[in-house]
Amino acid sequence: MKLGAALTAIVALLLVVAAGASGGTIVHRPIYMPDSSHVGDPALQPPPVCCVPVAPPVAGEPAPVNMAYFGGHVQVTPKIYLVLWGWGQPGAFDHTTPGMPANDPDGAAARMTAFIKAMGGTAWAGSQTQYYETVDGQNVHIQNPTNVFGGVWYDDTDPIHDNVSGLELAQEAQRAVAHFGITDLQNSQVVVAQPQRYNEAGFNSGAGYCAWHDFTQPQFYPGVQPGISFTNMPYVLNSGAGCGQNSVNGGFYAGRLDGFTIVMGHEIEETITDPGAEDVIDGVNLGAWYDYAAYENGDKCAWVGYTEGIAPASTVPGGLNNITGNDGRQYPVQSLWSNDSAGGAGYCAGAGDDLPATG
Amino acid sequence: MQKPIRATVLLAVAVAVSAGLAAAAAGPSVTITSPSGGQKISARHTTYLALAGTASFATPAAGATRFYLRRDGCGTANDNPHLSVTSGTDGGDGCGLVLTIVGVGGTADQGAFVDYPSSDGMPLTLDASRPVTGTVDLESFGIADPLAAGTGLVTVSVSLEALDQGNGVPVGSDAETVLITPTQTEYPVAFTIHPNGALDRADLSGLDLRVHVEGPYAFSGFIGNSGKSFMDVPAWSASFDQSVAVSLDDPSFASAVPARLDGTTWSVAVPTPEVGKHTVYARATQGFDTGAAASLPFSVTK
Repeated sequence: MKLGAALTAIVALLLVVAAGASGGTIVHRPIYMPDSSHVGDPALQPPPVCCVPVAPPVAGEPAPVNMAYFGGHVQVTPKIYLVLWGWGQPGAFDHTTPGMPANDPDGAAARMTAFIKAMGGTAWAGSQTQYYETVDGQNVHIQNPTNVFGGVWYDDTDPIHDNVSGLELAQEAQRAVAHFGITDLQNSQVVVAQPQRYNEAGFNSGAGYCAWHDFTQPQFYPGVQPGISFTNMPYVLNSGAGCGQNSVNGGFYAGRLDGFTIVMGHEIEETITDPGAEDVIDGVNLGAWYDYAAYENGDKCAWVGYTEGIAPASTVPGGLNNITGNDGRQYPVQSLWSNDSAGGAGYCAGAGDDLPATG
Repeated sequence: MQKPIRATVLLAVAVAVSAGLAAAAAGPSVTITSPSGGQKISARHTTYLALAGTASFATPAAGATRFYLRRDGCGTANDNPHLSVTSGTDGGDGCGLVLTIVGVGGTADQGAFVDYPSSDGMPLTLDASRPVTGTVDLESFGIADPLAAGTGLVTVSVSLEALDQGNGVPVGSDAETVLITPTQTEYPVAFTIHPNGALDRADLSGLDLRVHVEGPYAFSGFIGNSGKSFMDVPAWSASFDQSVAVSLDDPSFASAVPARLDGTTWSVAVPTPEVGKHTVYARATQGFDTGAAASLPFSVTK
């Protein structure tokens, strides 16, 4: 560990201790990915680690200061399971497209599925192998296998409806665990993707986020099997440019689905490095890697360089950019925070437009 | 930005749509000629079962599809710029691009453009051997307008993108300039796009025309709709992508076998199924259009 990172970790740990001593009630909330116009919205900031007020990140810029390890597990050998909940149910879409399946008229499901299959082994995913969990005094690093795809499930059996709640999403994630026969919850995550017309209530309400991820615990998701890392993945095309449409690729069709891989990639990589979603249960910190302001690796680099079309985001180091998947195809993503970048000071990396000096 | 002063109400201009694609033929069809209905086939003597039949597809004819540039409500939440094969009076007629006002007049925003994605007229089998042609009708203030009159050289850039197998693919682009003068208010700017040859005969799911008007003076550059701006896309009346699929005992075609097409006949050999009664299903597909399945019962004996 480099000196800067070590100091950051020490400061963070001190803050955790102070938080425990204060005995304050920790308010649970999922870890949101704000849309590009709500980056600084206080309601969407993660629960504070401690007692030092921190200004929200500046829109379009990385949030500095390295992440620290808070003691929870990471996903060493991640497996990602995609649930397309209700995409084939009546009313899920208000349009059809010739040549495209009725349950995926915009190609979003196909794009998300292809991206999960293609992300393994990329430099983008590989930028996270610097992070680890500590087991019996040994640091076990995140791996970057080629195949992180666990499976895809078109669930048209369990009815969906508009304005689903977080609890209902957690329940769907639990059904997915049963459907896929997942036994290794620590290394597994479930992305619950919703179709155009049936989305999560907060996303629909204009709360200002594109997606979030969380970790099921009885206090927050009563009746749901504990220990499931899951993502609420709304149909982000409904939010247009705010959730990444055409944020990397300029063509009307070529960039239409940009937000799906940017937003989902953000949540997937956050879940890999912090599957416990910063939960603190009975004084035990289940979270893994985030900074003193509770920003995870995705939060710290969200929408970097994004100017909604004025200039390509990739002209800014760490900006949104296309990466080449292991299938040779291009996928737009955001960069991810790398403590090792910039000589150990940390920076957003992995999207192919890193700072010249990366770690 | 809506052109604020309109001396006349722009009526829909009924422009004849190019013929050639109107004859939407009935879907592709098949017959099964082998085996014959109710035929009994000996498993002992027939390791592979020969299936055959006829297929009928629409013959692709060269034509063109005219798409009109339409808007529902300029400057409103219901603006909805789009391409449509039908014309009419547009709520967004005379809609202009976002302008950056610098001093008197001003310069059109360099980054401002309007996307017109197709709302109908799809799928379309592109004929890339012929050019896409069209007209963007520019409008400006004339000397009759009391506040200002358009003047100067305006550039109209158009770029066409296709949705091909779920991917956005550039078709081509063009840029034309027109001199705006105070004495004239309507400028039909003709454009020509030579299509990307890789898309020849491709079955397209969508088209998007991006229009960018750039010029030195703010009081011009409004795009006339209501039939005045349009694009003719060379197309074939039917797809060249033709196939026949065969399925044994499964009308859902979940494990269908592709047949070999030879003109109007098809054939394929499949392992002879187990002894008992069976049904063979066949269906033809042309482009995105799959016809009704034909079926025929037969039996396999020892």
